[in-house]
Amino acid sequence: MPRDPRERWQLIPSGTRDWLPREAVRLREATAGVLAEAARWGYREVVTPTIEYLDVLVRGEGADAADRLFKLVDRGGELLALRPEMTTPVARLAATRLRDEPVPLRVAYAGWVFRGREAASARLREFPQAGCELIGPQSVDADAEIVALAVGALRAAGASGFSVSLGHVGFLQGVLAGLDLPGDDAAGVRALLYQKDFVGLRDLLERHRAPADRLDALMALPALRGAGALEEARRLVHTPEGQGVVRDLERLGEALAAHGVDDAVTIDLSIIRDFDYYTGIVFEGHTAALGAPLLGGGRYDRLLDRFGVPLPATGFAIRLERVLAAEIAGTPDDAAQAWVPDAVVAAEAGCGAEAAACARALRARGFAVALEVLGRPWEQVAAEAARRGVARAILVGRGTARVREGGAPERTVPAADVAGGRGAAARGGAS
Amino acid sequence: MTPEARQSAALVTVAAPSGRLLDGAMRILEAAGYLDGDAWRESRRLIVQGAEPGLRCLIAKPVDLLTYVEHGAADLGIAGKDVLLEQGRDVYELVDLGFGTCRGVLAFPGRLAESWERLTPLRIATKYPHVTERYFWGQGRPVEIIAMNGTVELAPLVGLADGIMDLVMSGRTLRENGLVEVAELFQSTARLVVNRISLRSRADAVAAVIDRVRAAVAAA
Repeated sequence: MPRDPRERWQLIPSGTRDWLPREAVRLREATAGVLAEAARWGYREVVTPTIEYLDVLVRGEGADAADRLFKLVDRGGELLALRPEMTTPVARLAATRLRDEPVPLRVAYAGWVFRGREAASARLREFPQAGCELIGPQSVDADAEIVALAVGALRAAGASGFSVSLGHVGFLQGVLAGLDLPGDDAAGVRALLYQKDFVGLRDLLERHRAPADRLDALMALPALRGAGALEEARRLVHTPEGQGVVRDLERLGEALAAHGVDDAVTIDLSIIRDFDYYTGIVFEGHTAALGAPLLGGGRYDRLLDRFGVPLPATGFAIRLERVLAAEIAGTPDDAAQAWVPDAVVAAEAGCGAEAAACARALRARGFAVALEVLGRPWEQVAAEAARRGVARAILVGRGTARVREGGAPERTVPAADVAGGRGAAARGGAS
Repeated sequence: MTPEARQSAALVTVAAPSGRLLDGAMRILEAAGYLDGDAWRESRRLIVQGAEPGLRCLIAKPVDLLTYVEHGAADLGIAGKDVLLEQGRDVYELVDLGFGTCRGVLAFPGRLAESWERLTPLRIATKYPHVTERYFWGQGRPVEIIAMNGTVELAPLVGLADGIMDLVMSGRTLRENGLVEVAELFQSTARLVVNRISLRSRADAVAAVIDRVRAAVAAA
């Protein structure tokens, strides 16, 4: 236990966290769940380095991203950075080592990603992500596959009660299309969009005397979601770009119904993602239990071009720690974050070898077994096991074993029964 | 470290700022039909139950308000544009509420009003270090920011800084302290901001609040 919190060796850097046994187990299960679901859709896992050249990451994510990166200096003075997400490293991989693979390329990943600084306090700077990228096709079918897979992967990670909001960056571009804003103001529009500053956007359009229907469409945008959103969008936006987006989203909706995930997906034209490489659909998964998205993704057709391979692509990433946080939101935390084995095994005097053999046999059958290594008296071992919620305490002697299970009175059984699968320890099975 | 657990899905929480924007914020919520008259004035409670069961209002310090909204502890909030500019939070800024008008300006003692551009190093005291730093960065001019929490206009009088970047309404405080405005950095009014997930997970309830607030602003 920390004694003096002022001592630095007791601390971890801001924006990082420790994962205690129960959380770590859930994280591993959730990660495995996502990768297994991805594999069922034909996505192969890749692993890339945690550190990349700064140039690679900036090439993928734009010069502005450099501010957000966690940077390091290599021995030769080259600038390195910790990956802030996995899409750019996967794009680099697709443009180099996987360049000659046939398209479509279906790639999955899971790993830790890093941010140099988060705008707000209490945001993590190191967190686990798992996701998929579908590289090659530029079609509604490909978008439908990635959204349907995102829903399946979120479910496989253990999330429930979530929904996925689906929008399109082209819709806003449709609202702004043909307005002929001068360069500075066009950049200003983009900046205001990322800041989600609709008041500022309105001011800017009014300054340029944009037609009233454009202003109406812009101000309606945050509410353009749900069943009637596309009809309303068609009514509001008259540019060919905007109408094309509405048509694409309608066809995507039909494809998602065929995948059986339309219940989990809602059209939402107000979705704005933080990364600037998105060119088509964008989507986010969320639950009422958390104020931040569980999942984000979309189409990025020009990212691979920055690496010399002009391939369209679409993908998503799941914020695993948020999926886990949503699970426990509102329920009191177990103080100890306890994780206990299925059984503890102690030895009578001189019977250490028998106890070890018994534990080995139980482990072979899938039980988690902890051997008593402190040499404490049996009563103390059994009492502590009961207090910690360990299902069974076993004292192995010569040929016999004493077993305590739950609140039941102690029973003495042949040692072979405990280790061999008959009798007390076998009931309940590996959990 | 993990995002906060949130209240039941049925209840919408609006955060209003204590201080200079509180009256205006409460008047808007009252005009939108969410608060009963001045009942909130009579207590020192920080959470005020609304006139409707589905809405409550919490009163937060302006500097903390966007934290409540960004983390989803409040679904909506009323915040000055000055704070939005300074803090750069991940929230949707949807409605200009039209009250709380003020400006962020750079001001110097009268004797420096003409010559401040030649000062090196230039020391500026402010409650808005990020906005100020961005401004001077955009001008390509080095600056030393002295971050403060209040009575910024005192700093140049006692030699802590050469000038200040601060909010002005009438300009009286500046005049009384012998300070002269030399540049305007931004104009500010109160804004309605919304948590990005609330906009979706409680869409109907949150959209209703936005619509009624917008109508109240239009009618004002």
